[in-house]
Amino acid sequence: MFIGFNKINNTVPVLKIEACFNIICIYLKSIILLNIVRVLKYHFKYKFQILTCISGIDYIEHKNRFIITYEILSLKFNNRLRLKIIVNESIAIQSLKLLYLTAIWWEDEIWDMFGIIFLKRNNLIRLLTDYGFQGFPLKKDFPLSGFVDIKYSLITNKIQYNNIELTQNYRIFNYQSPWC
Amino acid sequence: MVLLKPKKLNKLIKNFTINFGPQHPAAHGVLRLLIELSGEVVLNVTPHIGLLHRGTEKLVEYKTYLQALPYFDRLDYVSMMSQEHTYCLVIEKLLNLQIPKRSKFIRTIFSELTRVLNHLLAIGCHAMDVGAMTPMLWVFEEREKLMEFYERVSGARMHSVYFRPGGIIHDIPKGLLNDIFLFINQFRTKLLEIELLLNNNRIWVQRLVNIGIISKIDCQNWGFSGVMLRGSGICWDIRKSEPYEIYSSLKFTIPVGKNGDCYDRYLIRIYEIKQSLVIIEQCLQQIPGGLIKQDNLKIIPPFKNEFKLSMEALIHHFKIYTNGFNVPITEAYLSTEAPKGEFGIYLLSDNSNKPYRCKIRAPGFAHLQALNFMCKYHMIADVVTIIGTQDIVFGEIDR
Repeated sequence: MFIGFNKINNTVPVLKIEACFNIICIYLKSIILLNIVRVLKYHFKYKFQILTCISGIDYIEHKNRFIITYEILSLKFNNRLRLKIIVNESIAIQSLKLLYLTAIWWEDEIWDMFGIIFLKRNNLIRLLTDYGFQGFPLKKDFPLSGFVDIKYSLITNKIQYNNIELTQNYRIFNYQSPWC
Repeated sequence: MVLLKPKKLNKLIKNFTINFGPQHPAAHGVLRLLIELSGEVVLNVTPHIGLLHRGTEKLVEYKTYLQALPYFDRLDYVSMMSQEHTYCLVIEKLLNLQIPKRSKFIRTIFSELTRVLNHLLAIGCHAMDVGAMTPMLWVFEEREKLMEFYERVSGARMHSVYFRPGGIIHDIPKGLLNDIFLFINQFRTKLLEIELLLNNNRIWVQRLVNIGIISKIDCQNWGFSGVMLRGSGICWDIRKSEPYEIYSSLKFTIPVGKNGDCYDRYLIRIYEIKQSLVIIEQCLQQIPGGLIKQDNLKIIPPFKNEFKLSMEALIHHFKIYTNGFNVPITEAYLSTEAPKGEFGIYLLSDNSNKPYRCKIRAPGFAHLQALNFMCKYHMIADVVTIIGTQDIVFGEIDR
């Protein structure tokens, strides 16, 4: 169940507030993210000391393609909050490394999977994909089978990367009935 | 004779970097660590992960909700049912499904059995890495007995796809609860044997006390959860703070450590096993009779004897297993107290039968990140101890 307040940005510096299944979700502008999270972490009434996770979502049809979601948790008040920023491929987001040290690997994973750059992070590394992998897997235009095929060749004793050759096109079965 | 000035005697020393390779008996799966050493003292530890990356999140986007369920078994492959449990709870939250009471009790029993499974392996493998080789053999024997319960209920020893959105797939067979009761009675002696071997053992205590100490503030900064938080003195358990299933009506205590070192976390795991047994006993006494499935045939498949006789049940069975069910446009993040920590799933649905985005928040990911911080200025042997105490399993970290 969504309840949304769209015209809230006259009073507070947020774009939109939604409430969904008793968790509040706040849409922010990416410029003021660091300041708002700093307030949320240290203010005595909020105390969101733990950053649970950072996830990225790709909406390929929208103009601003990506949404980055931050889940924060307050142990003292037993409360969770979700913060969202809407970005596209050319916007770099402020890193939360100074506030939450755990944000380092979560941001690395978002760089690895979506290609979104974070500021003041001088070593965004590819965590989950192969060494020397090109492309950003979790974007919706990256195919499920990928582009390269890896084999270990016993003759040269090296790993070979070939272009992928599928004998059959990847089929997506969509059984959704047209009248439902 | 020319005396060399002290400045000219300084040489440039580079630290020695070793590769604690992906194939290593103590590396708990595929973990590649680059350890910078100065003598025997560790200065820097860089984990390289991603060697078990199977693309679970991308694959889940191409499957229906029911077809994506077995992926979750294989994430943390030592505590299988706890991830299935989280996934089923998220789907039930999105669909606003209520599940019958008997289902909730059975799920809680298996969730706690999974906790016992996981902590047994954590302690056993940790002990073997540190050097005590016998507890692992005892532990694997007990795990076999527990996996026999998994097999009786679902057919598979490890990756039982038993929890489904809407409850469980079939009811438990006759006599299973009796056998669980008998298992618990003989298990307490076995646990006592492990404790007698390790708890006051001089070598064990010397290897674990004051190793990998982490303070309360650092714990929260690094995003720890579960046993790692409780070892440092923070009393936080999702079963108590955001109760799911029937945990709000069960009586159990949560152990909390004082020093934040590896020995505290080991003792907390042993205590949690005992508390799990207490929870299972309460469930065995209180479990009601009744059906385990609701009537909602659009989402929950009908029983086997029903669809062999009724046309509507057959059509619903066909549609559920081919098309799946549609979930309206919502999103939810739900986390449960998995044995390793807070296992969370952030599920986004568009109005179709496949999830639009499924983000898996594994507890081991945040724990392994802090390995560098915890291992600084310890020795190489302590790196092994700290990896063991963080209870790292690569299935969930790399997904």
